[in-house]
Formats: sequence, C-alpha cells, structure tokens
Amino acid sequence: MKGARVSTVQTGLSYGVLVGLAIVVVFPFYWMTVTSFKNEEQMRSLVSMFWPRPLVGENYEQLLAKTDFLKWYANSATVAISSTLLATAVGTIGAYALARLRFLGRGFMASATLITYLVPPSILFIPLYAQMRSLGLANSLGGLIAAYPSFTVPFVTWLLMGYFESIPEELEEAAMIDGATRFGAFYRVVLPLSAPGVLAAGLYAFTQAWNEFLYALVFITDGKLRTLPVGLASFITGDVYGWGYLMAGAVLTTLPVIAAYIYLQKYMVDGLTAGSVKG
Amino acid sequence: MSVPAASLRSKTAVNGGLAVGLKRVLGPDHRMGYLFVTPIVLLVLSLVAYPFTYAIYLSMTHKLVGLPPIFVGFENYIRLTWDGFFQRAVVNSFIFTFGSVGFKLVLGVVMAIVLTSRIRWRSFWTGVLLIPWVAPTVVSALNFLWIFDGSLGVLNYLLVRVLRIMPQGVGWLSEPGTAMASVVAVNIWRGFPFFGISFLAGMKGIPAELYEAAAVDGATALHRFRHVTLPGIKNIMIIVVLLSTIWTFNDFQIVYILTKGGPGGTTMVMPVLAYETAFGAQRLGEAIAVALYLLPALAVTIMVLARYMRTARKR
Repeated sequence: MKGARVSTVQTGLSYGVLVGLAIVVVFPFYWMTVTSFKNEEQMRSLVSMFWPRPLVGENYEQLLAKTDFLKWYANSATVAISSTLLATAVGTIGAYALARLRFLGRGFMASATLITYLVPPSILFIPLYAQMRSLGLANSLGGLIAAYPSFTVPFVTWLLMGYFESIPEELEEAAMIDGATRFGAFYRVVLPLSAPGVLAAGLYAFTQAWNEFLYALVFITDGKLRTLPVGLASFITGDVYGWGYLMAGAVLTTLPVIAAYIYLQKYMVDGLTAGSVKG
Repeated sequence: MSVPAASLRSKTAVNGGLAVGLKRVLGPDHRMGYLFVTPIVLLVLSLVAYPFTYAIYLSMTHKLVGLPPIFVGFENYIRLTWDGFFQRAVVNSFIFTFGSVGFKLVLGVVMAIVLTSRIRWRSFWTGVLLIPWVAPTVVSALNFLWIFDGSLGVLNYLLVRVLRIMPQGVGWLSEPGTAMASVVAVNIWRGFPFFGISFLAGMKGIPAELYEAAAVDGATALHRFRHVTLPGIKNIMIIVVLLSTIWTFNDFQIVYILTKGGPGGTTMVMPVLAYETAFGAQRLGEAIAVALYLLPALAVTIMVLARYMRTARKR
C-alpha cells in the first residue's frame, strides 16, 4: 500500500520534471514559428503574442523574394551533400580497416583519428583560412567542401569503427572459407549489413556540415556565397532586425535537420554512447 | 586487396617468400589495410596536422593578412600574458565553461533519471528533449537573441506583463550583470540533452540484478542511485564531462551571435577574441596565439579523454 503510493508520487514527479524540461526545450522553436507568421505591427505593439491573429505569410514571401535566402539554401545543400558523400566514403573504408584489418600501425592510426576528432575547430580556423587563401580556395564553396572533411571524416570514422566492431567476425570468416577474398567479404557481407549504420553516420555528417558556422563565416566574404547559418546571422548586423523574415529563415533552415533527426532518433537512443555524437 | 592463401601457394618460391615476409612484418591484411586508410591519412595530414603545425609557427610571428610572417619567437604569448583584456577573456572562458558544464551535468542526470522511470511514451519524451542537441546552433542562438530582446523580447513580456514578477524589462544581453548568465543559460539549454542521452545509454547497460540485490538489502532510492547507478555510469560521466569541457571552452557561435563578447568585454571568451583579433584587427599571429594559449591543457585533456573513449569501446 505504502509502496504503491510512493511510486505514484515518483511517477507524478517524473512527469512534472518531463513536462517542465519539454516546455523549456520546445519554447524557442514554438516562438520562432509563431514569430515567422507575424507582421511588423503585431511584433512592435506586442499584440496577439502567443498566436498570431491574423497569421501572415509575408515574411516568407519577403525572405524568398528580397534576400539571397534561396541561394544560401542551394549553397548549404551543395556544401553539405558533397562533403557528406566524401566523408562517408572515406570514413567507411577507413573505419573498416581500422576496426578489422590487421596491419602494422593500425592502433596508432586509430588513436590519431580519435584525437583528430577531438581537436576543436576554434584552433584550426585561422591556419585553415590561411591555407585556403594560398590555394585560391578562400571565398568559394570549394574551400568549404575541402575543409569540412576535417571534422566529418574523423567523426564518421570513429562512429563506424564502433559499428564494424559490433558485427561478428565469424560472418567474414565464413565468407572467406567459401572462397571470398578479404575485399569480397567486406563488399558483399559487411557492407550490406552495415548499410543502416553507414546511412546514420552519413546523416550525422550531413547535419554537422549543414549547421557549421565558423569556417563558413571566416572563409566566405561574398554575400551570395554564404551558407544558411552565416546568411541568417548576417540579418542581425544592421540596427533594424527583420525578426519576421529572420525567423521564417530559421524555420526553413531547421526543417532538413529535423527530417534527418526523425530517422536518426532510434540510433541516438539505442546504440550510441558518449562520444559518438558531436555537436 | 590481400592475397588469398591459395594464390600465394601457386606463385614462385621467391615471390612467395617475400610476400610471407612482408605479411609477417606489416600484418596479414596490410595491402587492403593501407589502401583503405590512405584517404583518411591524407585528409588528416592536410586538414588537421599541417594547419595545426602551421598554426604553432604562425603564433610565433607577426603576421598581417596578405603580408609575409615575421618570426618573433614567444613574443605574442608573453605580451598576451600581461594583457588585461586577454586575461579577462581567459577568466570569462573558465566561467562560461565550468558554469555551463556543471549545470549540464546536473540536468543530464535528472533527464536520464526521469527517462528511465516508469513513464509512458518514453521514446517520444526522449525525442523531444534531444531537439536542442540536433537543431542548428545558429538557429537556436538567433531564437534566444530574439527571446532575450530588451524591448520586444518574449522573456521580458512573460516576466513583466504575464507573471508580473518584475516591474520592468531587463536588457538580458546588453547589461553587464546579466549577459554572462544569459549566454551560459543558452549553452546549458543546447548541451544538456547530450549529457542526458549519454547517461541514459549508460544506465541501460547496468544489469537489473544489481538493482534487485540492492532492493533486497533494503536500499532506499537514494542509496541505489549512489551505490549502483553512479558507479555504473562513472566512466561515461568522465567522458561526457571532458568532451563537453572541450566543446564548451571552444564554443564560438553562441557567444558570437548573442553578444560578440560584449557588453564591454563581459562575455568575451577566447575563441571570439581569437576571431576578433584575426578578422577585426587583422593580426593573425597574435590571434593564433590566443587560440593556442591553453594548448598544453587542451592536449592533456584530449589525451586523457581519448584513453577513456578507447577503453569504453573495448568493453
């Protein structure tokens, strides 16, 4: 009797904490969405605060018609997709070698990859900028595509090393006993089995590249070549912030990440422990 | 691609002997191994190792954008050591980092505990609480810039007009007294879900028998937490705290977007100062010295962390 009461209290408390945390977590996104459907007048006179009446779409129209937003969207997509494909390809084969193959220097290289993953961009951005300048890649999307693997590749590799280690080695051994080469065992047995993990790693890399700010801020000086995060942030440099279209842009920037996240959620909750996710 | 045993045997004795010798020294899979790691090695060398080494050199020079560097030894570091503004940025960085990490740790534990208690729609709640971690940080920072706005921001509206607990609004990011607390709050908001999800994963790995045994011994919930849960997630806690310390110390976006280090330098942290020195003042050498000033501490942290992360994987 007493135990049941205690556990009811505990469950009630858990729900209380959950709802509190959820409100704090969701509110900024709710607020961003609500703001994106308000006009100047509604914002300035603090009317219809929590649900815009009327709902207006003019911020979105203005954003698409009067700013370079669509251009930035295309830039972000170009940079994120190319650097993701590169990172996933390089990371997948590299992770397989570091997780499974026996060769001299493997342990050292695995450690080096992990350490690279831990080196923060804030100590690399100035020399990388100097490097891109001397290669003639500053102020171009090519420079970003070339620079983003510095964080996506070690990340994908570290993530997939764990994934490959979890696949039973007997499967490859069986394939090789049946006459497959080492490469055949990787290509025909391990790779198909790892497809979900490779996809998850690729999507993570995509969201990281999509969200990246510092390199894009530093490397790109031409307004038309900006990526979304830098483009959005550039709306606040003037004295008059266009909060309406800024928030409309924020909504549209968040959407692809949320889509990727819906697929990724089960991986984040299930298998991935500390250090697998970079932010 | 490695050579299968059958084809090795069919080769001449000399070739076979050489291949066997190579295999002994370089390992049985060395061909495919080196082939597969070559791209990573090239990328890491050109995008991390080289810039890093170049950074150390540049930090010992006077380098202006577009001009060749002039070697000056440790001059930049020595000058920074006695520079009041830099000293303040170091102190601010520590306040920002440890203030954030402490709260993230507590909130992460709370999050993991409520998500493992008896609730419905567990994966729904987990998904919701993870949103700040996956959303673009720039978007979140811009959202908070708008929420914290002194005249039209919704935080002041809630506190002054709805809850009526303050007589008038506060310029959260523009007043020296509240700016640091505000940027720390945003960093906590963004980072605590990572702590929570990692602890959650760690708690799932604790065998149920341990809890049952503790219950049989009459342990209270608090006892079970202290003597079963905490030891069970200790390694994950160390990893997450170290990771987050590195990330938070080097966090650029949140402070840059919310305050740019202001008002009056009260939120100036080292990465933002490095950026401003490089691209505002155009002094690249000094800027890199700012970024690398605490490199020894960073290197030690990374080494310790890497060791923990590797052992966590091996188990």
